[in-house]
Order: sequence, then structure tokens, then C-alpha cells
Amino acid sequence: MSAYILRRVLQSVLVLFLVTIATFLLIHAAPGGPTSIFLAPGLSPQAQYIQAHNLGLDRPLPIQYLDWLWRMLHGDFGSTFKNGIPVGSLVWPTLLNTIILMGIAWVVTLLIAIPWGIYNSTREYGISDTVATVISYAGFALPAFWLGLMLQQIFAMRLGWLPLSDMWSRGQEGNLADLARHLVLPVVTLVIGFLAGYVKYSRSSMLEVLGQDYIRTARAKGVPESKVIFRHALRNALIPIITILGLDLPIVVAGAALTETVFNWPGMGRLFVSEATAREYNVLMAITVITAIVVVAGNLIADLLYAVVDPRVRLGEKEGETT
Amino acid sequence: MIAQTGQMPVPEPTLPERPESLMRAAWRRFRRNPLAMGGLVVFVIFAILAILAPWIAPYNPASIDLFNSDAPPSWQHLLGTDDSGRDIFTRILYGSRVSMLVGVLVAIGSVLIGCIVGAVAGYFGGWLDTVLMRIIDVMLSLPALFINILVLAIFGASFYLMILILVLTSWMGVARLVRGEFLQLREMQYVEAAKAAGASSVRIMFNHLLRNATAPIIVNATLMVGGAILTESALSFLGLGVQPPQTSWGQMLNNAQEYMLTNPMLAVYPGVCIFLVVLSVNFIGDGIRDALDPRQKAHIPKRRIAQWRDRFLKSST
Repeated sequence: MSAYILRRVLQSVLVLFLVTIATFLLIHAAPGGPTSIFLAPGLSPQAQYIQAHNLGLDRPLPIQYLDWLWRMLHGDFGSTFKNGIPVGSLVWPTLLNTIILMGIAWVVTLLIAIPWGIYNSTREYGISDTVATVISYAGFALPAFWLGLMLQQIFAMRLGWLPLSDMWSRGQEGNLADLARHLVLPVVTLVIGFLAGYVKYSRSSMLEVLGQDYIRTARAKGVPESKVIFRHALRNALIPIITILGLDLPIVVAGAALTETVFNWPGMGRLFVSEATAREYNVLMAITVITAIVVVAGNLIADLLYAVVDPRVRLGEKEGETT
Repeated sequence: MIAQTGQMPVPEPTLPERPESLMRAAWRRFRRNPLAMGGLVVFVIFAILAILAPWIAPYNPASIDLFNSDAPPSWQHLLGTDDSGRDIFTRILYGSRVSMLVGVLVAIGSVLIGCIVGAVAGYFGGWLDTVLMRIIDVMLSLPALFINILVLAIFGASFYLMILILVLTSWMGVARLVRGEFLQLREMQYVEAAKAAGASSVRIMFNHLLRNATAPIIVNATLMVGGAILTESALSFLGLGVQPPQTSWGQMLNNAQEYMLTNPMLAVYPGVCIFLVVLSVNFIGDGIRDALDPRQKAHIPKRRIAQWRDRFLKSST
């Protein structure tokens, strides 16, 4: 087991290292790259050279990369070009806001989806199952941001029940009731999008388990049906669900760029979108790397959890050939 | 027992005459699926409208008529006009060209790249496989939407760059799928036979193996069309996709957000169109999967056999 953990951790570190290289190269491949942004326009070539030298932009690319990586490892993401604000002070608060929004949406989704999926697995092709199928088709085909626009139109503009956008009303910062009211519309938008996959997934995971021989054995020896579902089936069905949760963890951090933009939620996704048009490269690199870290960590956690609950994974060491 | 008959291995057909081809059998099953056929009909209608847009559309999609802005639906303007007096019906028609083209081109492009990478990785294996799989890991660890936004913001938004970057961020699924199939298939005896007959690696990969992996690839490609259409609308909504005077559904939504108070219907039409097209593509994709998936066949008889068995047991006791 420890060998398996070590191998997966090393692998993840390698992937992250490659991600930083890819991000750095992508930014520096841009026409003009950060150089043209850093340098004030209209400078004479000499002055440009001096400024580039002062900013360290005349050094070879690998050196610049290592320097960037080294600073980042110490928590220093550089500062913005425009105002010289440290990127960290810009990004971290938005990350927290994103986690608030996405975390709540995610938990609400799971609280609805898993029990619903389990229920549907016991009544295959019933009314509730059909409703879930319709919702999941709709959820996969609706652009989330459009759904957000429609909800805004109906519940904020027409009915006036809920605030249109933003995280707090003016002067209400810190008031949790106010936050809750602002959360409703974006959370509903996100939940409808998420629900589709999770209900389907927990249903099919349960169905697979319910078709196993040991379930038939349990029923045959007279175990009551509720016990069969919750004791025998659910425990085994939760294994793949847990894995999916780990794999979807990144969505909690990165998946809401559009919803955040529509609802003007001060999160990391919206920050990325607005800074992309402003070409604040340090902010963009920081957010890309932070998101990648969460993605890789999510995959790692999912794999490790799976190895904990299913010994076959760590025994069948050869990766990739398990499929 | 009787239940066993459902799971008995089917003997290899001995080919007395030309058997029904995979595609024909799949089409037969696909035709019986009302959702899939409905999706196909809707998709074909949108495709025809998109192709014929310049001939059907009553107006120029970019022509501005400020005296006639925010007009309600009428016979002159079927869906009314937007804030600058542009005919919404015309713009929807022209927008469908962008959405359909993006969906189809991205699916084709990703399948091409995914097939080549997956085939090479799965067939040759070894260090090449390891390197390619790590590259895929890295690509999957980069948040795709962020990368799309980043590239379009840095290099400037343009239609072809958008297609290129969408392809480059969505081929990994197909590659993994093809690799998985190849890992299983390359040990088959017909591969050995082909090798013995002197077939080149390229020929074995693309003539023999890929053909046997067609079904899952087609399903994946179809579902990718819907995803690409959604991403295009999202990018255009953010102002990073199709640029005016060109129009797309996402870009119309971008425009509509500003006029939410005065003309809410502006946002409704493009959204409904995106929803319908993506829904129809997903229905088609699911229909193809059900038509091609042999497991599905085993599923229904098993249930039916269970019913028969129940009845049989009841009548005998």
C-alpha cells in the first residue's frame, strides 16, 4: 500500500511539474508575450532594454521559468502589471468565494442526487426515474449561463424575490442572511447542471450492485429488502460514487467561471475571465496552476480512496491494464 | 436451468452468405428508437436551415435599422428585432451555421487526433505509451475552459483559432478510449495473422484494429458535437468566440444580457436553439450507443427471460 501511495504521489508531482511548464510556455508563446505588456509603450529601444533588464525579461526562458517556479513554491505569484498588486492578495479571497458558492451547490446536489438515485434504482423505469431521466437530458443540454440568465429574468427582474447578482448587498457585507439570499439563484443554476450526472451515476452504480449474486443470496436467505438496499447494496455502490466525487473535486474550484460571470459572483472563475481580457499574465498563470493543483489532488485522493476500499486496485499493480 | 440459455455463448457465425453488416443492423435498431429518430429529425432540420441560411433569411444579419429596434414579432420580422433593429430570425439562422460548423469540425478534429495518438500508444505500448499517457494526464489536469479563454484572449478571438483550441483541448477522451480498445485488440489472433502476412504496422493499426473500435468512437464523437456547441456558446457569450459582425447564438446571448430589462425575449430564442440542437445531438448519440452496444441486446432478453421464468415457476407450483 505505501509503495502504491508513493508511486501515485510521485506521479502527481511529475504531472504538476509538467503542467507548470505547459502553462509557462503557453503564456510566453503569446505574440509579444508578457514582454510587450510589461514594457511601457512609446519607449525608445534603449529604455525598453533597460526596463526589460530590470524586470528580468532579457534572461533565457528556462531561467525565467525556474525563477517563477521557485517564487511560486514560496507562495509568491508576482504582482499585476497595472497596479502592482500582489497576485496572491487578489486570488486567494476569490478562491474562498468560489469554494463557498461551489461547495454549497455541490453539497446540495449530493444531498438530492444520491438518495434520489438510490430510490430510482429500486423502482427502475418508474415515474421518479423518468423524471430524473428528463432532468438529466435537460441538464446536459442547457447552457448553464443561459439558465442563469433566465432565472435572473424570472426571479430577480419580474418577481423581484431575489437579488439579481453579486455576493452581498451594499453595506451588508458579513450578513449571512444576505449572503444566503444572494446564493439561491447561482446555486440553483449549478445544481440543475450537476444533478443530471450524479442521479444517473448513483442509480447505475446501485443497479450494478443489485444485480450481483450476493444480493440474490441475501434476498434468498430472507434479509428484509430495506436491509438489502442499505446494508448490502449501498455500501458497495458508494465505492464508485466516492471515486467520482474525488474526480469532480476540481469542478468545485474551476467549474463556475460562467455562472460566476453571469451572477457577478466575485470568484476565481470570474477573476480569470476578466483578467484574461486584461492580459494580466501573472494572475492567469497563478489561477491555472492553482486549478491544476486541485485537479491533480482530486485525482490522487480518488485513486487512494479507491485503493483503500478496493484491495484489488493496489494488488493488481500494473496500471492501465486493469481495464 | 432455463435462465442459463440467455447467457449461453453465441457460436461464431459461419458466414453462409453475406451477413447483415454492423452499420445496417445498427440503423435498423436506431430507427426503432423514437427519441433518437426525433433527435435526428430536429438536427437535420437545423442543418438544412444552416446550409440554406443565405437563401432563406429575409434580411442581412448585420444590417442595422435603428427606427425599427426592439420590434415585437410580426410578419415582417418573424421573431421581432433586437436593440439595433436587426432581424432576430435572420440572426438565429446565421448563428446556426456557426454552432453546427463548430460542433461538427471539433468532433472530426478531436476524433482524428485522438485516434492517431490512442492508436500509437495502444499498439506500440512501452515508453511511447507512457509518454503519451503522461501528456494526456497533463492535458486533463489543465482546466479546459480556462485554457480556451486564455488562448483566445492572448492570441485574439477568431473563429478558426477557436475551433483549433477546442480540438486541442478535447481529443484526450477519444485517445484514451482508442488506446484501451487497442490494448485489448492487439493480442487478437487476426493481428498476428496480419503480421505474419507482412502487413505494416500502420496498416494493422488503421485498417484492422481501428475498424473494430469504430462503435465507441462514433458514440463519443456524436456526444462531443453537443459539448463543442455548448463551449462555443459559452466562449462567444464571454466575447471571446465569434466576433461581430459575424453572429452566433452565444454572441447573441452576450448581446442580450445588456438588454435584459428592455427586451428579455432576445435571450430566449438563442438559448432555446442551443438547447434543442444539443439535446437532439445527445439523443442521437445515445441512440447510436444503444444501437451499437451488444450488451444492450443481452439486457432486454434477460429481463424477459426472468419474466418467463416467474410465470413458469408459478404455473408449475
